[in-house]
Amino acid sequence: MTDLMLFQLVGVFLFSVGIAGLVRRKTLVGMLIALELMINGAGLSIVAAAQLTSGDAVKGQLAALFVMGLAAAEATLLLAIILVAVRRLKSSGTDGVFHMRG
Amino acid sequence: MEILAKSAFLFYCLIIGAGAVMAVMSKSLVRALVGLIAVMIALAGMYLLLAAPFIAFMQILIYVGGVSVLIFFAIMLSKASAEGDETGSVSLGRAVNALLCLLVPAVIFSVVIIYHPVTTRDAPLDVSPALLGEGMLGPYLLPFELISVVLFAAMAGAVLAAWRKRGQK
Repeated sequence: MTDLMLFQLVGVFLFSVGIAGLVRRKTLVGMLIALELMINGAGLSIVAAAQLTSGDAVKGQLAALFVMGLAAAEATLLLAIILVAVRRLKSSGTDGVFHMRG
Repeated sequence: MEILAKSAFLFYCLIIGAGAVMAVMSKSLVRALVGLIAVMIALAGMYLLLAAPFIAFMQILIYVGGVSVLIFFAIMLSKASAEGDETGSVSLGRAVNALLCLLVPAVIFSVVIIYHPVTTRDAPLDVSPALLGEGMLGPYLLPFELISVVLFAAMAGAVLAAWRKRGQK
């Protein structure tokens, strides 16, 4: 068991738990939290691969930073979307959101 | 020193495991958010173990300081009740689906990771923030600028989507 494997397995754990939560949650905010778990697992996997293999470490760390920036942008948009959905449907449950028609 | 690193890794693993389960299973969304924040902080510790202190600081700054506050706003604005909207039992079909979604990627990725090892370095490389800055302003200038455009578009889109016209309820 190399160090890289241990870090990658932690990343896989976070990703799998996140995807299970994404399916299991009944509210949009709960899904958002599970999504952040998945992104964090992916970030750990990227940084571990960058630091512990012979690949370019600078490139890997920059990729992790870009992932963080995109996650921030995505969280902002999701906040607005949840806000609109709550205002229109009067609940933040996922079962109410069936069609994209306004 | 080796034992110290291993025990720190184990400690972070425990926090990550407990926090992730709390983030996914907790009835109250605020508790779920606290679990997520614990995971994020433990991940910053993992980045420190990987000799990437700049990423660790960015993890705390962006995720713990920014994204978690955004999620808290989302909880607040969606009028989540204090007892939690996630109360009530999860239907059997949904629970089975969630379990399948947990197992399929976990098994596939774990098998790939364990049975196809790649050659690794013994110790992680130490990359100074100066090198990262040179990379951002040198070969990766375009993605760096595109990120700022994406962030701006996301902010503008969020304001536009959540805009409430005057007089409209």
